[in-house]
Amino acid sequence: MAETSTTTVGQSYGRLEGHAKVTGRADYIYNLRLPSMLHAKIHRSPIGHGRINSIDVSAAAAMPGVHMVVTGEDVKTVLPEPYYGPAFHDQPILALDKVRHFGEPVAAVLAADPHIAERAARLIVVDYEELPAVYDEIEALDSEAIVHEELKPAGTFADLKHLSGRRDTNVALDFHLRLGDADKAFAEAVHVFEHTFRTQQTMHTPFEPIVAIADVTHDRAIIHSSTQSPSFVRYELSRLLGWPESNVRVRTGHLGGGFGAKVYVKVEALALALSMLAHRPVRVAQTMEEQFYTITKHPSTFRIRSAVDDDGRIVGRKCEVWWNGGAYADIGPRVTQKSGFTAAGPYDIENIDIDSFALYTNRPPAGALRGFGIPQLVWAYESHTDIIARELGIDPIVFRKRNILRDGRPQAVGTIVKDGEFEPVLDETARRLGWDRPYDKGEGAKRRGRGVAIGFKASISPTTSSAIVSVNADGSVIVYCSTVDMGQGSDTAMAQIAAEVLDIPLDRIRVVNPDTDVTPYDMSTLGSRSTFHMGHAVRLAAADAKEKLVAMAEEVGMPEGSNAPLPELFIKKFGMRAGTIVGTANFKPDYAPTDPETGLSPNATPFWMIGATGAEVEVDTETGQFTILRMINVCDVGKPINPAVVETQLSGAAVMQLGFTTTERMILENGQLTNPSLADYKVPGIFDMPVIMENGMIEAEQHNGPFGAKGAGESGTFGVSPAIANAIEDAVGVRIAEMPITAEAIFRALRAKDGAPLEED
Amino acid sequence: MSRHTINFTLNGRPVTADVGTHQNLTEVLQESFGLFGARESCGQGLCGCCTVLIDGAAVTSCLALAAFADGSDVQTVEGLADGEELSPEQEAFIEIGAFQCGYCTPGFVLMTRQLLDENPDPDDDEIKHYLSGNLCRCGAYPEIVQAVRLAGEKRRAR
Amino acid sequence: MTPFELAQPASLAEAIALLDPNDTAIRPIAGGTALMLMMKMGLYEPQKLISLRGIEPRYSEVAATADGGLRIGAVTPLRQLEMLPVVAERAPVIAHTMRRLSNVRVRNVARLGGHLAHGDPHLDLPPVLIALGATLAIAGPNGERTIAVEDLFQGYLETALAPDELIVEVNVPAAAAHTAYLKHTTRSADDWPALGIAVALDMQGDSVSGARVAIGAATDTPRRLTSVEAALQGEALSDAAINRAGEAAAAEAEVHSDARGSAAYKRELIRVFTGRTIRQATGREA
Repeated sequence: MAETSTTTVGQSYGRLEGHAKVTGRADYIYNLRLPSMLHAKIHRSPIGHGRINSIDVSAAAAMPGVHMVVTGEDVKTVLPEPYYGPAFHDQPILALDKVRHFGEPVAAVLAADPHIAERAARLIVVDYEELPAVYDEIEALDSEAIVHEELKPAGTFADLKHLSGRRDTNVALDFHLRLGDADKAFAEAVHVFEHTFRTQQTMHTPFEPIVAIADVTHDRAIIHSSTQSPSFVRYELSRLLGWPESNVRVRTGHLGGGFGAKVYVKVEALALALSMLAHRPVRVAQTMEEQFYTITKHPSTFRIRSAVDDDGRIVGRKCEVWWNGGAYADIGPRVTQKSGFTAAGPYDIENIDIDSFALYTNRPPAGALRGFGIPQLVWAYESHTDIIARELGIDPIVFRKRNILRDGRPQAVGTIVKDGEFEPVLDETARRLGWDRPYDKGEGAKRRGRGVAIGFKASISPTTSSAIVSVNADGSVIVYCSTVDMGQGSDTAMAQIAAEVLDIPLDRIRVVNPDTDVTPYDMSTLGSRSTFHMGHAVRLAAADAKEKLVAMAEEVGMPEGSNAPLPELFIKKFGMRAGTIVGTANFKPDYAPTDPETGLSPNATPFWMIGATGAEVEVDTETGQFTILRMINVCDVGKPINPAVVETQLSGAAVMQLGFTTTERMILENGQLTNPSLADYKVPGIFDMPVIMENGMIEAEQHNGPFGAKGAGESGTFGVSPAIANAIEDAVGVRIAEMPITAEAIFRALRAKDGAPLEED
Repeated sequence: MSRHTINFTLNGRPVTADVGTHQNLTEVLQESFGLFGARESCGQGLCGCCTVLIDGAAVTSCLALAAFADGSDVQTVEGLADGEELSPEQEAFIEIGAFQCGYCTPGFVLMTRQLLDENPDPDDDEIKHYLSGNLCRCGAYPEIVQAVRLAGEKRRAR
Repeated sequence: MTPFELAQPASLAEAIALLDPNDTAIRPIAGGTALMLMMKMGLYEPQKLISLRGIEPRYSEVAATADGGLRIGAVTPLRQLEMLPVVAERAPVIAHTMRRLSNVRVRNVARLGGHLAHGDPHLDLPPVLIALGATLAIAGPNGERTIAVEDLFQGYLETALAPDELIVEVNVPAAAAHTAYLKHTTRSADDWPALGIAVALDMQGDSVSGARVAIGAATDTPRRLTSVEAALQGEALSDAAINRAGEAAAAEAEVHSDARGSAAYKRELIRVFTGRTIRQATGREA
């Protein structure tokens, strides 16, 4: 699309729902109550893996005020095949026969008073036969503990059609990519480097916890949910019910954060089953604690090897990545595949082998979390890349630039890069850091260092977004789309796009909250796909409406190009203020599937997301404690629809990744999660912020984007973790290879370097 | 007695509620008065989403027994605006864009209210000190600090 | 949570009479922050709670004493200790400690007596009050007794209080000339401390004439570090003397590994932070 001047697009309007948010009136589903509604409280597994011998619900059922107690067997009476999941139908609504992770839902208590339901849920007694369990992704490869005896591929999504799983193993998916001849490159290489990096299990902790209310009557299921995926939830529940999708209505409000925790089915299927059994509306509202048992971010192990020539060119890279998907696959297979093909980093390397494995373990399930696996990969490849540069005595920026991907070159997956601002992003990061200036590295116990890292991500493809734009007789406009605004500002962006196309002021546009009875299909709000995909759908639907308005003007005899106000046009046509003009559009970008043998595709993604971080740290060598003096996040953001909102996305993403880098970690002991609360799982607070934080946006036209825009909600996460690790090495000469980076880990590394390792206890 | 009748002032109006001793103040504001601006998230007093002002002082309402509200003056975020006219704190949060999902926003706005009541012209350290018990998962802290500064300016100008 | 009976007596005597020496399902509540957390998690289900919010106002007051110290009513909100000029003047280390003790909302509500009677080692004021040599007035059915703050803590969440006894007053003697408290967190800035070191020193010329040093959070209970006190006594505060004090602290404190750090790491932190606290108290460069 040619660059055109815009008036509404490109402006930093405040969020449309700002007034509602500062007055406490925003419509979160967590606030919703329905007449005659029951509250559900869940009894959960206290072990990691076990066979259920019996469930005794008698004491709970006998408690005054308890309406009903429900087990997995009860669910089967209304939903005979009660398994769900976007990749595999592997997750039971309530445990059947087996529990596969600590915190798995086993039974539910319904009561009008949530306090009573909660107390009764504690009275349920379950007899388990404990089974051998596996918690580590490497051990899961050849463990005797098998999490799933049988796997049922879902076959829902075009990009996951090939899934089968491997019987009698814990491998849900393995993805392989072969480019060039990596073995030959390694055999001939002057330098070969090998490192292994690990990441920990973390959780999204959206502050509005996961919630759904189901209200089912004989041929109608209405689900009010804090979902990021209303269309998928409708699809999946209609499949479970065997009903047409038109009988299932899924609606949402504004979300109090999502970050990937609320994609696909979370508690909606349980709420559905409970409402069917109770014949009443049922609310399943998680607590913060329960979210930790529901969905998490993959722990990972990444062994990366590089072959480098004497000029500092990376000539070959071999990547083996093991993703710890927990007990249910959720969308882990897509993480394995989509992230898999970028595992070699944003570098122009001729010979690449990638092997990426999604593994089942007995941890709480892992799925998508802001970046879809990319931050785990960047942690490894940018730490590795930095180590190589240092060992070869090449400046880390120079080394990266010598190898960086550029437009017109194929990325590892075989897709030619277009509109990927890799080098400008790196240059801007270096410029803001003042990389060329001498740096005071401190003295005594306080040592300073700086580091950079750059990562990238492909958009999820192929996916579809649909939109409706209707023009009222007074000239005001309503946008119907199923993109969920969970804080990223999508409502505002979609309104700006419609306003731009129709040339009307923003305050005459309303964006309807997703409601599958009303708003058309959208694949899901995830992976930074909405601005691009739904942005196009809204743009095209608005253009469709505009064409109809032009035709109507012609029909009523208004001169071509006349700027008569819309109300006049409607009155001329309908004799009064009446009628509606409706524009519609479906949008799906081109895509070529990856070859099952080589993993290659000439068109794997419609656009690339690129983000870099520069960090300056100060390390207290007496304690290992470190302060981030400066954190600079620079991203390729395309042409932003709303620059101010995009900037808060960059900065917020970086802050979130800072938590995953330094403070956040789910701790399992004997399979039991010991810290499922904000008291012991520490998300960053205001005193954990870098002393100085800067955001830089490389604004560059995305040729095929709506008004040149592209997604940017995750890009700010990419570089954070390795940039900090690289800065720490620069400061004190130790390398941290496992996240999170803690003061104790640094202290121990310092002591080991000094030949006086600290005892282990 | 496991139930108590409490009388208190809620956003400037005298009110009465029949509460169970085991009920916290967030729950009673929601279930008895339909006010959802104070909301429970972490449930442990760490995130600040349930912040209300009791006699002008910010309190974690999900850890406050509702029965203790008897005789007090409770203000929630719904009581800050004067009709359609937003308070300076609310205006500042909108103008700076100091939120994303908005779930924590009422808590931050009310902490800002207590801060500016006690210190009309705080420096950044003082701002962070007051807000250190509120968490924003969207990571809008830099914008929030700016918004508090702007709210201070607005109040001093009024 | 389960419904319970809530009594709101108007006097201390009445409150004590409502407690039962043999029934832990009856407990006092003042701020209620810690108790509410336990009740919400189902760790404690009371039959009856006795509110101390309505007892005589003098138990919520802070007064300067004739000997240069402070008398603090046990129902005083922590926020008062932060804001009252008399506290900053008589025991600046207390006012200073407040700045990083939990957060403003908690300090608005939590009371000094509950902060101590909870017996949680991960709190900030116990080591500070121990270093200051503070005592507690404890009231029960048979009248009042006085104990040193360090004698209150018997184990994790265990104190020397009988179920029908209440802390009514904290008496802080005139503070030593040089005091400091350093809190160190290892997970996030707003976390409960991994350790807290409090120091109160009197100096004669260049040498230490009196030392009280206490530790919190890293050990099972907040406690004095007497070997550190002995190591400091009579010493000029040279780098070597300060290092010896740090070594003594690391050797004396019994620590365990937990989510905030391994025992070995905590011993290193104790060594370093003991030195830093001494330096801070005496105005030396950290």
